[in-house]
Amino acid sequence: MQSRRPPSTDRVVFGVNEPQAAAPSARPDLLPSSVDPTVFDEAFLRQLEQLMLMTRKQVRGGLRGVRRSVKRGQSVEFADYRDYSLGDDLRSLDWNVYARLEKLFIKLFVEEEDVTVHILVDASASMATGAPDKLHFARRAAAALAYVGLASYDRVVISILQGRVARRLPAARGTNQIFRVLADLSAVRAGEGPSDLAAATRHYAAQLTQRGPLLLISDLFDPAAEKVIAELAGTRCEVSVLHTLSPDELDPPLEGELRLVDSESSVGVDVTADLATLDVYKARLAAWQATLETAAVKRRVAYLPVSSELPLAELVFAELRRRGVVA
Amino acid sequence: MPLLAPLALLGLLFVPLIVAFYMLRLRRTERPVSSTYLWAQLVRDVEANAPWQRLRRSLLLLLQLLLVLALVLVATRPFGERAAGLARDVILVLDASASMAATDVFPDRLTAAKRAALDALADLPADGHVSVVAAAGSARVVANEVTDRSRLTEAIESVEVSTGSADLTDGLKLAGALAARARGAEILVVTDDSAAEAPDVELGVPVRVLTVGRDRHNQAIVALAVRADSSGIKRSVFASVANLDSERVTRRLQVLADGVPITARDLALDALRRTEVVIDEVPAGTRVVEARLSIPETPGTTVAGSVDQLSLDDAAWAIVPSDRLQRVLLVGPGNVYLQNALSLLPNIELYGATPDEYPTTTGRELFDLIVFDGYLPPELPAKPILAIAPPRTSGLGAVSGKVEGPVPGEPASDEPLLRNVDLSRLHVAEAVLIELPAWARPVIPGPESPLLYSGLRDGLPTAVLAFDLRQSDLPLQVAWPILAANLAGELLGIDPEGVEPVTPGAPVDLAAPPGATALRVTRPDGSVVELPVSGAAGSVTFVGTELLGVYTADAVIPVSASPDPSASGSISPTPDPSATAPAEVETGPIRFAVDLFDPAESNIAPGNGERLVALGREAPDDAATSGVARDEWWVPLALLALALLMVEWLVYERDGARRLWAGIREVTTTGRFRRLTSSGRGR
Repeated sequence: MQSRRPPSTDRVVFGVNEPQAAAPSARPDLLPSSVDPTVFDEAFLRQLEQLMLMTRKQVRGGLRGVRRSVKRGQSVEFADYRDYSLGDDLRSLDWNVYARLEKLFIKLFVEEEDVTVHILVDASASMATGAPDKLHFARRAAAALAYVGLASYDRVVISILQGRVARRLPAARGTNQIFRVLADLSAVRAGEGPSDLAAATRHYAAQLTQRGPLLLISDLFDPAAEKVIAELAGTRCEVSVLHTLSPDELDPPLEGELRLVDSESSVGVDVTADLATLDVYKARLAAWQATLETAAVKRRVAYLPVSSELPLAELVFAELRRRGVVA
Repeated sequence: MPLLAPLALLGLLFVPLIVAFYMLRLRRTERPVSSTYLWAQLVRDVEANAPWQRLRRSLLLLLQLLLVLALVLVATRPFGERAAGLARDVILVLDASASMAATDVFPDRLTAAKRAALDALADLPADGHVSVVAAAGSARVVANEVTDRSRLTEAIESVEVSTGSADLTDGLKLAGALAARARGAEILVVTDDSAAEAPDVELGVPVRVLTVGRDRHNQAIVALAVRADSSGIKRSVFASVANLDSERVTRRLQVLADGVPITARDLALDALRRTEVVIDEVPAGTRVVEARLSIPETPGTTVAGSVDQLSLDDAAWAIVPSDRLQRVLLVGPGNVYLQNALSLLPNIELYGATPDEYPTTTGRELFDLIVFDGYLPPELPAKPILAIAPPRTSGLGAVSGKVEGPVPGEPASDEPLLRNVDLSRLHVAEAVLIELPAWARPVIPGPESPLLYSGLRDGLPTAVLAFDLRQSDLPLQVAWPILAANLAGELLGIDPEGVEPVTPGAPVDLAAPPGATALRVTRPDGSVVELPVSGAAGSVTFVGTELLGVYTADAVIPVSASPDPSASGSISPTPDPSATAPAEVETGPIRFAVDLFDPAESNIAPGNGERLVALGREAPDDAATSGVARDEWWVPLALLALALLMVEWLVYERDGARRLWAGIREVTTTGRFRRLTSSGRGR
């Protein structure tokens, strides 16, 4: 069996899994200069290799992999019998059945193929705000999930949602592709100006050909956020939405007479930020999240609200595991 | 609504100023956020750009405008008018006698009287003026025709309760004189009307009386004296305790000698009766006897009449006369009456010498008193002198002859030398015609010259009896030994019957020792008053006797004026600084006690004031009550402004207040949780 360990990681010293370790001196020698060194360390990678993105349904894959396919093929797992027909491989004959029944039957086995893991990263201007940065969190989460997919011999497709379009990064397969994935993610910058998440999602859904796990990492700050979920659910992929908000969006540290300026549209909203206003905001936020969750559940989409200050390990090993996204 | 200061309405100009400030204040700080998607849905206060719409929603602005309005109203001093209940000129007579210290009304009668006076003066016309007379032992004008209410209040509040007695006569006379200056004046008397007799005065103006006081629960020490027996050795304390209440009570009388308790007795005092107490256990050498009346504290039992509403008369002091042996030299041919009278006096050692022996007598400076009977030396000694029938002109007086059968005149009723002396049957056959010197006062006046006079001659007590005892029937009368004792007492500075107490507020003549430049009087509260001795008077008058208790007067004598030869004449090999720089030395102190021995003042039973009303004219002058009184409303407006200020602050800091409240709740909840946890662990 092929080793699932990336060949170059034992010589690479990754930064610790904390944002404050992103000092230039921590950059390893063999790490490409375009790769963010703070994504994860080696121990974390070892743990990620034990995970797999879950698929409830068997889907048809492309290449051989480790997931059960709807196709019959060669594996150790027996699936069914069928009558022998001319030209069949004689090695598949069940001689024991022939001895008992004097009829030729071919043993069918479950085919194991890969799946395509779709990771959608919202890179709109709103994702570049917050402390910690939501886009930074999204890139790290995407990298971790991509590594889980790569370690499972799955095909990983990362797409960046900006403006009204979805920009697909080159697909990767195999753990040796992780550095390219990291480099690609590190190059992702937040867009400027207004964005239309629903349009970008629709754009991605239109060009999706292979089904598999689909994970959207976004703050969903879009009036048509429910439509985004509906578009993704329409792809018949197993969709998971990581609704990412920063701590200052969950509990705004605002006070006084303020004009709040939208990072995308630059539209200002005047508020008197006092405790009553903040209480109403929090109530409104909770109601909005509840609405999104309801819409997600209705379409069998896994909805996962997370804070951008959530440690990556906790996200992967606790939250995503608890929701059955990874196992 | 009439305004006293309408110009203050200019303060309303602050209203547009505040609005302008508020509009400027609405410039908001820009804060970038990821998305205004959620905010836009809940923004409640400002979406419209019209500033008036913003202002309409601001509670703070509303409160600030109301605050300015309230402050402007306060500054304009709005008032209401009503008919005045008092005349334009009011003379307020405030009773400040000792009975006004009674505590039957809270906190005491004088404070209640001040409150009643201030309440009554609220009916004063707007242009009215008030004079305030404080009636204590003597009346004094505290404020004269005051129109300013604050000054009037200050003057009334400055009146303090006196320890003396007052029957309001002086106060009403003074008030009558003040009222006579203005037409239509009115006298307002605030008193407890507890005096036994109505004031003897007629007033031509209306008198209005406000009475204070409710009860009459009081017991008092109305007399305290220390008396010696005929031997002069044994001394007894005589105390008289009066129960002025209408019910029988029990009180404890404690007697202290120089501050040390010597006895305490529980006295059952009948209602409205006096009880005499004699205590013989006065230790030798005692200088001050103090008596205190208190409610006996017996645990578990109820003492009858446990209230004494006047404490001023529950303590009294008496000065014990000096025990020092006084030496008296009698110079004369011999007079058995005089010898007997003087030798029988306690603490007196009598020596005798004939006129021939006198010039050769040694140690004359050791005598405290020299009595010259029908003889005068060429040079008068610097000692107290009693001269009887001086034969010639001297410093004691100019002798111009003799008078046959002089008839004694009517002496002054308060003459201390004639206390308990009855001279109504005195007959004198012959007396020396002697002119009354300037330093003396006549004691027994005569037809042409006094028969007995006394005074301070160069600071030395001196008395002159103008007739020979054998030329009168005085030695045969009971009055003689008493007169002799009184003369010896004044000339020796002692009183065989003890030192009489001084009435509060009454002036006291203090005899300064020879050479004294000043007297330092220490009052019962410890304050010291220094009184200079002027010229040759030899005595000073002390008037600051308002406090009850023992006063001590110490003579201040410069060293250079001392008769001590070591300081005045001797030649010392080393310079004595005390001889060149006159230091001050002090002689023995003079003590006197100020006591409130006035049963009438101790009787605090309040009256209804009708007898005081009857002193004045009945119908008030029409012109007197035609004014209007003003009630200013600034106090409620100021309170309203204060309340608005507090509400405005609370609204402005409502976040902080809510956080504080939440913090307190959290602390209390956590504390309760910890208590429950710890108790759970304990179980």
